[in-house]
Amino acid sequence: MSEPLSKIPAGMRYYCGPEARLRRTIETAVMSIFDGWSYEEVTTPTIDYYSLFEHGMGPTQAHRAFRFSDGDGRLLAIRPDVTSLVARAAATLFAQRERPLRLCYVAPVFRQQPESHTDWRRESSQIGCELIGANSSAADMELLAIVCEVLQHLGLVRGCSITLTDIDVFNGIAEELKLNPESRDEMRRLVDIRNTSDLEQFLVQYSSAKDSQALARLTQMSGKGEILNDARQAISNARSQAALDRIGRLWSVIESLQLTAHFEIDLGDVSRLDYYTGLTFKVYVDGAGRRIGSGGRYDGLTASFGKAEPAVGFVLELDALTDILLGSADSSSAAKSVARPAQITGTDLSGLFRAAMDKRALGERIVIDSSEVAR
Amino acid sequence: MTNLTLAIPKGRVQADALRLLQRAGLRLSSESLSTRRLAVEDESGRYRLIFVKPTDVPVYVEHGVADCGIVGRDVLLEWEPDLLQPLALDIGVCRIVVAAKSEAIWNQFGMLRVATKYPRIAAKHFGARGVAVDLIELSGSVELAPVLGLADCIVDLVETGRTLKENGLSIVEVITQSSARLVVNRASYQLKTEAVGQLIRSVEQASQRRTNGD
Repeated sequence: MSEPLSKIPAGMRYYCGPEARLRRTIETAVMSIFDGWSYEEVTTPTIDYYSLFEHGMGPTQAHRAFRFSDGDGRLLAIRPDVTSLVARAAATLFAQRERPLRLCYVAPVFRQQPESHTDWRRESSQIGCELIGANSSAADMELLAIVCEVLQHLGLVRGCSITLTDIDVFNGIAEELKLNPESRDEMRRLVDIRNTSDLEQFLVQYSSAKDSQALARLTQMSGKGEILNDARQAISNARSQAALDRIGRLWSVIESLQLTAHFEIDLGDVSRLDYYTGLTFKVYVDGAGRRIGSGGRYDGLTASFGKAEPAVGFVLELDALTDILLGSADSSSAAKSVARPAQITGTDLSGLFRAAMDKRALGERIVIDSSEVAR
Repeated sequence: MTNLTLAIPKGRVQADALRLLQRAGLRLSSESLSTRRLAVEDESGRYRLIFVKPTDVPVYVEHGVADCGIVGRDVLLEWEPDLLQPLALDIGVCRIVVAAKSEAIWNQFGMLRVATKYPRIAAKHFGARGVAVDLIELSGSVELAPVLGLADCIVDLVETGRTLKENGLSIVEVITQSSARLVVNRASYQLKTEAVGQLIRSVEQASQRRTNGD
């Protein structure tokens, strides 16, 4: 028996009514903030070679894409990620442009395999920006400031937490312990799930009992600026120290801008995306059971497309933003209600449409009522 | 002070989990626990406890409906939920094992029929050994399967091993140890930092106190 045509594939859905309007409102608002910071919109291909995403996101993440083969047998994927595509464009199409490049996008991404049980969507919309060709705290801070403005504008800043870390804190430790790729992944997993006791047991294989105990506290090193002092004492290698200094520099700017209430340093928040090389951050908002955005520095990514240069970017989940705002009464009331349209009636078609077009020329919202038109 | 919702597994681990939480400072009246209500508050009003099936604990916590939960490692291995696991607890201690009528199952080079409630753990385990398996997913009384010839062996949770023995089965391999863990929703960890941190610390202390025999 064939499937009924009414069935919708898992993870796909329609948007309509207030929700669709709210999505559009948020999209427009966020894109106009990006424009305000001089980010230029790019629209990327929806389908591209799988190898591009495998390079960009790392095999584990890229595997989640919908994949199929091209006429010549090469493997294609429906875009599971936009950053890889933007990074390639920066290295190729925009190779000659003046740096830094500021690019932004809003686009659906598609994933056949969900990342977690709560991630039921297989099509979700991402809004993001990328700042390419600038390696400085200024560039990192620029993106954090944009995230803050977006949250502020959407009325979400009150209950938000933007968590900061630098992946090099972890990388430095892994390097010092001379971990092979498998044990590096295992250590990353244990830090990520904050499993302090197992992490300590794991570290004892590579380090003295005392050092293991100190390093295992990485899982618990979260808080405001003072946590950096703790970390400096527990972690002594140069690479991690340099990373801690970078976070320290950002933190002092955040402090002077009086934004510390919205930020948290969390050295245990080790990202799972393989392309990050420096600062990484995640955005959490009251009312959402999972993060609504993330970002970071990916200085190694554009090199795989032929032009090595520093880059930093972030992405916000449009669906998550819509869900939260739809639930909160005040901030979305404008999008929920729409102006009542003027009803245009008439007995003959030309009269009806003349009236309609006149009203539209004045910018009025109308609805055609053809019930009185003579047949 | 922020309120926290905790998901507690009904059944085997429930009583131990509640005792642990009481030692950690939650004030739970015996009346509130003796009712059949599925959600109760502690006397301070800071904690709400919800009682759900063990395999549902990660579902509630992952969605953020509950901020924290107590759940067996077996469930975490089987469902691989995306959760923080800051504490291993000394309750619900057991083993995940392969059990059969005899060790003779290892002489089989074709296909092994495995009855289990844990298809992913079983598939991963036999996959690593390079053994082809026919997984027969059951939801209870797994021990019957080898006895009746439905399967060659089972993968199941074993606490004392009595049920196995009574059904003529013995442990042929221990896959891993399991005990309960405190799990935390990722967003709650970031947004309710203080409350979650305090709960983790007090449960950790309560857990250590008992281990040390105080």
